Order: sequence, then C-alpha cells, then structure tokens
Amino acid sequence: MKDKIEQIRDQVLGEIAKVSGLKDLEDIRVRILGRKGELTEVLRGLSILPEDVRREMGKVSNDVKNAVSQALDLRKTELEDQKPASTAPRVDLSLPGRRPARGRMHPIPKVTAEVVDIFRELGFQVATGPDIETEYYNFDSLNTPADHPARDSHDTFFVRPGVVLRTQTSPVQMRVMESTPPPVAIVAPGRVYRVDADASHSPMFYQIEGLLVDQGVSFADLKGTLLHFITRFFGPDTRLRFRPHFFPFTEPSAEVDVSCTICKGSGCRVCKHSGWLEILGCGMVHPKVFQYAGYDSEKYTGFAFGFGIDRITMLRHAIPSIHHIYENDVRFLEQL
Amino acid sequence: MRVSLNWLKELIDITMPVDELAHQLTMLGLEIESVERPGEEIREVYVGQIVSIEPHPDADKLVVCKTDVGGAEPITIVCGAKNMKAGDKVPTAVVGASLPGGFEIGKRKMRGIESQGMMCSARELGMGEEHAGLLILDPATKVGESILPVLGLDDIIVEIEVTPNRGDWAGMIGVARELSALLKTPYRVPETGLIESGRPASELSSVTIENPDLCPRYIGRVLTNVKIGPSPDWMARRLTQAGMRPINNIVDVTNYVLLETGHPLHAFDYDKLSENRIVVRTARAGETMKTLDGELRTLNPDMLVIADAKDPVAVAGVMGGLDSEVGETTTNLFLESAYFLPASVRKTARTLALVTEASQRFQRGADPVMARYAVDRAAALMREVAGGEVAPGAIDAHPKPMGAIEVSLRYDRTALLLGAEVDHAEQRDILKRLGFEILEAGDTSFSVRVPTWRHDVRLEADLIEEVARLHGYGNIPERVPAVRPMDTKIAPEETALQRLREYLVSMGLTETMNMSFSSYDELKRARLDGEMVTLQNPLAETQSTMRSSLIPGLLSTVSLNVRRGNHNLAVFEVGPVYHPKAGETLPEQEARATVVLSGYGVDKHWSRPLQPLDFYDIKGYAEAVLDFFGLTPAFAPLDSPTFTADQSGSVEVDGRRVGILGRVTDAVLKAFDIEQPVYMLELHLKSILSAQAAAAQFEAIPKFPSSMRDLAVLVDAEVPAGTLLDTAKRSGGKLLKRVKIFDIYTGKQVPAGKKSVALGLVFQSEERTLTDADTQGASDAILAELRKEHGAQLR
Repeated sequence: MKDKIEQIRDQVLGEIAKVSGLKDLEDIRVRILGRKGELTEVLRGLSILPEDVRREMGKVSNDVKNAVSQALDLRKTELEDQKPASTAPRVDLSLPGRRPARGRMHPIPKVTAEVVDIFRELGFQVATGPDIETEYYNFDSLNTPADHPARDSHDTFFVRPGVVLRTQTSPVQMRVMESTPPPVAIVAPGRVYRVDADASHSPMFYQIEGLLVDQGVSFADLKGTLLHFITRFFGPDTRLRFRPHFFPFTEPSAEVDVSCTICKGSGCRVCKHSGWLEILGCGMVHPKVFQYAGYDSEKYTGFAFGFGIDRITMLRHAIPSIHHIYENDVRFLEQL
Repeated sequence: MRVSLNWLKELIDITMPVDELAHQLTMLGLEIESVERPGEEIREVYVGQIVSIEPHPDADKLVVCKTDVGGAEPITIVCGAKNMKAGDKVPTAVVGASLPGGFEIGKRKMRGIESQGMMCSARELGMGEEHAGLLILDPATKVGESILPVLGLDDIIVEIEVTPNRGDWAGMIGVARELSALLKTPYRVPETGLIESGRPASELSSVTIENPDLCPRYIGRVLTNVKIGPSPDWMARRLTQAGMRPINNIVDVTNYVLLETGHPLHAFDYDKLSENRIVVRTARAGETMKTLDGELRTLNPDMLVIADAKDPVAVAGVMGGLDSEVGETTTNLFLESAYFLPASVRKTARTLALVTEASQRFQRGADPVMARYAVDRAAALMREVAGGEVAPGAIDAHPKPMGAIEVSLRYDRTALLLGAEVDHAEQRDILKRLGFEILEAGDTSFSVRVPTWRHDVRLEADLIEEVARLHGYGNIPERVPAVRPMDTKIAPEETALQRLREYLVSMGLTETMNMSFSSYDELKRARLDGEMVTLQNPLAETQSTMRSSLIPGLLSTVSLNVRRGNHNLAVFEVGPVYHPKAGETLPEQEARATVVLSGYGVDKHWSRPLQPLDFYDIKGYAEAVLDFFGLTPAFAPLDSPTFTADQSGSVEVDGRRVGILGRVTDAVLKAFDIEQPVYMLELHLKSILSAQAAAAQFEAIPKFPSSMRDLAVLVDAEVPAGTLLDTAKRSGGKLLKRVKIFDIYTGKQVPAGKKSVALGLVFQSEERTLTDADTQGASDAILAELRKEHGAQLR
C-alpha cells in the first residue's frame, strides 16, 4: 500500500515538472487529487484497513497529498510568470519620458525661505515693512539723525523730502516694536535700495533683518544665534569672526566674517586672500532705539542683525555677478 | 586712511610682523582694506653715483656711464636716459637685481658694449608713472646704500577703513593711541619745538567769531617771511604714500600735520586777507566765492564761512578760497586751526556736493584740544621747511569750551549686555588705557571722563562696547537663546505668498524677479495708465518711478529672453507694486502675481506635436491659483488696451475684480520689440487673500453609484458656454452633482452662426441607486430649460 502511494507520488512529481501548460497542470490535479482522483481513491480504500495500519497509511497519504499539492501550486506560479513571447517592439529606454514641466523658484525667494526656516526653528517669525519708507523709520528712529555722518554712506533714493526708498530692512525693527510689546523675535526679509550701480552693486537688492528683544538678551546670545544660523546655512565647518564695527542703531556693534566658503579659509580670489568673507552686521540694540520704540532699556535688552540675501545667494551658487539675479534670463533661472 | 608703518613706528614701538598687526587692528575695529608692500619685489638696487658719461660709439641714442655703487670699481652701464649728469646720484640695479613685475637684471650686450646693470626711473621702481628720465636722488644720500630706505620703499602701507564714529582714527597719532591701548605700550607725540620771534600775533591779526555755536574754537597763528618752495623729500614721500599730491612746502605741512594729528588746518596768504583779520560768520544770502578747485560757489546763510574784513575766504571746514590761496609769491601766512560743529560742516559739504579731507574729518568730530597742538606743530614745521618767523602767541578764540563729559558704568550691566564676566579691574584698566579718566570707583560701578577726541562715547552702552572691544569679541562665549513666542502673528501674508510661489513652480512655471523700478515710458508702452510713485534722484530715466504693475517689467523680461533666443516662456513673478495714495505719507504697497506664457510655453516632446498656446492656457492658471486659495472666480469682459478685445477678461471674486488676463495686443508687443504672441495674467493678491475662503468642511462620500448623461445642444455662436452651465446647474435639481463642458464644435455639421456645446452631466442620489427614469427626467428638465433660456436644440 505504502509503495503504491509513493509510486503515485514519484510519478506525479515527475509529470508536474515536465508540464508546459496551465491546462495540462490542471488535468494532473484533477487526475490525482480530484473527487475521483487516484490518490483520493487510495485514501478512500483506507477505511477497510485495521486501525493501526490505517493511521500510518493515513499519514503517508496526507504527506503525499500535500507534496503534490505544493508542487502543483509552485509549478502553476512558474508557468504564470513565463511571459508570452511578445511580437511588439521593446520600448526605447533611452527616450525621454513625458515628464511634467519643472519650474524653478527664483534664487532670492528660495534662499530667503531657507534662511527664514532656520530662524523659525529657533522661534523667530517673519515680519515685513514697506519698501517706500519715511526718513523717520529708515534713519531718525534708528538713531541716525539728519546730521549723522552714517547717512552719507547710504546714497538714498528720495521720493520727496521725508520719504525714501528704504536703504535697509532695519526700519521693520522699529515698526514691529511700536506695534507689539516684548518679547520680540523676528526676521524681516525684503527689498532695499541704494543709489549705487556698478559691476558689483545693484540699486535694488535683498536684505534680511533679525531682532530679538527680551529680558536678559546678551551679546553671547547674538553670537550663539548667528553661529547656529551660519553653520546651518554654510555647513558645520564654517568658522565665524566677530569684529568691532560701527552702526548707529547698535552698541556694541560688530561685523561678522565667515571663513571663505570657496577656499575654506586658505585664501583665494573671492576672499581677497584673507580667508574671510564679510557678510553680516549686528550688535546690541542701542538704548536710543529702545527709547524711540517706547521700550524700557533698563528692563529689556536685545540684539539685531542684518545681511544681504543676494550676497549669500551668490556665495552659495558661485554666481559671479549680481546682475544675473535681476536680469531674468531664463537660462540663468533654470540653472538653480 | 593710508598708514605708513615706518611713520607709525615713530609714534609707537611695534615689534610684531605686519600681518599680525593688520589682524590686531582689524579685531580692534580698524578694518584693514589692504596691505601694500611697495618695495617687496626690489632686490640689489643701490644708490649709485655717475662718475662719467661717454657717448656710445655705435648708437646715437645711448650713452655709456661709469657708475660707482660702492664697489672696488665703478660699473659700466649703457643707458638711454638724458636727464643726468656726472656726479648725480641715481638708483642703480646691479647684475642679479630684481625690480617690480619680476624684472631681473643680468649682464647684457648693448650695441657691442656690455652693460653691467641699470639705472632706474621712478616707474621702474614702482613709484608712479614718471619715466621721462632717471630718478635723481638727494645729493646727501650715501653711495652703495640700499635704495629701499632711501626712497621709503622699505615701508609698508596699511589702508584702514575709518568708521563714521571714529574721526580720531583719521590721524597717525589716533591710530598709535589706539594701538597703545591694545598693546599696553606708550605712544609718543612729537615735540613741537616751536621757536617764536618778532611781533606778537595779536598785533598782526585778530579773530572774531560771530557764531560760537557753529565754531566753538578758532586758533590762528601768523608766520612772516616764509619762502615758498618744494617740500623736502621725506615729507613729500609721506604725502604721496598717503595718497596726497605734494604742492608746496606750506600746503604740504598743513597736509602732513593733518595726516599726523587728524586735525585739518588751513593756511591763508596773510596779505590777501582784507585788514589781515578773520571773521567767522555765516554767509550772506547770495554771497559767492571761488573755492580752491576753481569753482564759483554760491553760498547761503546756513553755511559757516571764514571771512576777512569784507568777503568769505573759505567755506568753514570744507575748502579754502582761491583768492587767498598760498602761492609762489606768498611771504606771510595766517594759519588756521579750528573746531567746527560736525553737523554744520556735513550740511554745508552736502549742499555744495563737496567732500574733502577736511570736511570728512570735521563732520566726524575733531578734537578741540588737538587743534592747539596741530597749529603749533604746523607752525614749527613751516619754519623748519620754509624759513621765516613764527609770530609769538596764538590767537585762540575759544568762546564755547566743550564741557567735560562724564559717564558711569555698572559692572553688572557689562555682564548682562555681553553675557560674559569681565573682571572689574580689567574694565577700569581698559578704559584708562583708552584715555578715559577714572573719576570714582565704587563696588558696583565707576564713572569716567570721556577724552576730548571721543565724540562717540556718551552712554553706558558705549563704554561697554569699549570694554568688549579691548577684552576681545572672540572672548565672549556663544549661547543659543531660548526664544519666547511673541503675542501676535506679524505677517501672515508672507507665508501665503511663499506657498503660492511653490505652487506656481510646481505647475512648471519659472520664477522671475524684476527690480521695483519702472518709468512712465515703460508704463505707456504697455498701454497702462495711472499715477506712479516718482523718484527725485533716479539712477536712470528707465528707473525713474516705482512700478504700479508687474506687466511692463515682465514684458521687458519676455523681450530680453526672446531676443536671446529663449522663445518658449512659462514664467511668473510675485512681488510688490506701489500706488500713490492721496492724503497719505506713504504710498500703498500690495503684492501681485503675474503669469506670462509665450512661444509654446514648453519645449517640444518627441512623442507629440506642439500645441500652440491660446487664451485658455492663461485662463487655466487664473482658475488654478484662485482654486489654490479656495476661491471660484468669475470672468467678465475686459476693456483694456493692453489686451486684445476678443481675448481678454477680468477675473472676479464676489463681484470684485481681483485680476486681469488676456492676449497682449500687437501694438504693445511691438513697443516691447516682441514678435510672438504673449498671454498674461495679473492677480491682485491682497484682494485674493482677503477673500480667501474659510477652511473647507467635510462632505459625506456618496454611498450610491452615479449615472452619467451627455447632452449636445446647438445654440447661437455668441451665447457664452458658461451660461449653459449656469442654467443646467439651476435646473438640474438636487440629483445633478456635476456638470462640465466636454466639447465645443463649430464646422461642417453645424449650421452657420451656431455652435454645438456638449455637456457632461453627472447625477447621483444620497439615498438610492438612480433608475434610468430618474436620470432621464432630470436630463429632460435641463434640456427644456436650455431650450427656453438659450433657444438650444438637441443635436
């Protein structure tokens, strides 16, 4: 009995391996496992056997049934996966697909968004102010009265006496402080204007201003914040250097150099062989600015900073001239 | 400020290398713009003395010289110059020498005679452009000495940027004083060594100050019998190194002392001053004066002038007058050293558009104490280089002495502002080194008297900056602050604008960015009108206004790109425009978004033909953007000369115009030199953002299947298809879920003057599966209404 079962098994497994069509495979299944199939018949005959033999034979038969069943399934999957010989030519993998057109964001808003994101993570929010600004906000309230020599360096566009194109994003500081009590934590990107046009200057460019005012804000906080920003933006190996400088609306004031993003500080044409690039001005908010804002400078301290988005964009993308940025040749715009 | 290192070393001991010095100055706030080493490339060039000059036997233009360079024998040099004679001392490069530009000197045969070196012109040594002949040296120089110290070529010039708050850095003494504080080394101010003789100055002249507010101090000295001539080499060289042109010994001394002390001086020809006296007053209305630069200046009563008994002889603190200029015939001098109010000098210089060395220093604030030293120093130097006598006594009109300025500093305030602990004794020491006098020192604070040259220090914060500067910014730690959130959201629209940019980019548009400038000409070429904000001092006529629309700038962008061969354009700009607002100080600024399509918009794909752009491409962007903000726009006909009458429209939300769109007219295209169709859409983002819908609310997902019906009807060609949609929506009952136009057809099978509009209707119930009868009934109701309202016939 056992021999017969195993004989069926060996024969059937041999047949399954040779079958080349799904139909033939199904025939085998019916012939062996069907209601009147060979194996089914054998199993049916077991009932007449004595108890102990029946138990043994039952197990053998079941194992064979499972083995056949498994071989059938496996072979079925194999046969189904065999692709029919195609008569159509193969696709040309080298031809471009129909991809949706890709637009590009202008580098200035793109970099602005990146900068803003870094400061947002720290808890700053975005503020804005008008491009056409009063002299009061652009200069006077920032401790730059009419007779201040610092005004000379600004080359201001005038709309009429008292109204100018803002020369810096700093007036946003004052507008925000006037409208809200401390704490203040803002970054203010925007257009600024100077009567200046040559190979490296554009009469309009982008700056971003930052301001943090609260109790106990210190120069150390300023250094930490800018170090965080710069290393995020330019990479963790970037070094910073704070140098004393002068701005009318901060005291103490500093200019910040970063280690040259091109040569990493070893000296190249871009950094004029100094290893450093000047990119940023900053300082602790001047008590007179707080006075204009109506903040108590004994209770609150703060820091402010500002830098050119064009400048860091040009450094980031190795753009040789600022004129590319506002010229709008799409061959430039589509590069970035 | 160009600082000669050799000069600086006369005022303070410096042992560190110049690069280290430049670094130290930079970290102190004196930013170094450049370090020049003029003699860096010069080697083996000596003082030579020409022993003999013989004609060259075979060349008319050359001579053969024997020149003694201190060796055993004079060397033979063949030379083409003409300006020298035997006995002259000249810079001589011997064999093996090198000159600026990497030029090496070797033995060289010139027309058969071997030349063993070269005698140099000024240009060959990198000293200016003079190349007409050899540089003839002072006879007192020593033969065989290296040329570098003789010509000051061993010097290093460090150029320093002087910030507007530190007028005191605009002089050598000021730089030395600052370094002294850093290096803790004393600095030296040269002794004046003034020798006075003859009649006292007070008998020779007088000074009257009519406006003590504008001129708190005016000091005069009188010199007699001076001899005008060239300055000695050492002085002329220092002026040249500093970027000044030597003029004559008197003017040069005023400039030399200016460089040394930072204090501007002026010398008048004493005999040309009416009544030989000085009156400091404001100009009279309409008064004119010729300044030293030869320009006739019209003065006004806001300007302070230096006058004689009759007329102005100088614009105070800005520039002297031509008529009283020191010239060859001058023998007697009136020498001025004053303190003028910075604001007054600045205003005058700006009004006259005249920026001078003097005005730049006065407007930063001069040192009224240094004024006295400077005039004495100058008088002594003049006597030394121009002879004559210095009349005893200075005429010192000092009607308004500056009061002492005292400021106090709390130690804990330093700690708070810097976020760093600076030792109390160090804080006091730093200020002391900087020339501040410590007045009172308590446990928690101390007070100081501010030196007369520090106009920038008035507040406690100013003192803290001084402490920080000398303590070193690098020694302050870094700390990332825990930022507390603000009460209010400041600029919510910025986020929306950025999202819009990202959306437009995701639709395949490339972002452009034009500057804010425009012009009435550009506006007119785009056939737009309205008032613009005009600039008083534009850089160019094409940038004389602030744009009132993004359309003109983008047309210029299209023009530029098409001319450069970029024909397929699908671009946008999001940015501000400006409109004057009557009765308001500031114009109105609002954000707009403008989309431009031109050419084919996209490049051709290999698999399919290019579809020419048409109006519906640009309209699609209008719908998409409005949908992005949750709004459904309506479109109404537009009467705009920018766009063609048949392909233009106004974009409206809730009956308000929020934008315009259309095909740009040929006339406008021609005005922008564009020879291909352009479609534009301009949206007013302020209106759109303010109309923005509330957050969409959930609707149940339908449980029962929908049924579709198509309905093609003939209507008169001029009936807007959209009105059929409106009618269908109104008459479709609650079973009609959606309706859209899926085809518009005019042609052979449609009668002239008619068009076929195919509507796709979707019916659905929330309660049951619809039967054919339901769908048919609803569809028939729509058809009946279309027939009634639009005379539609079923096709």
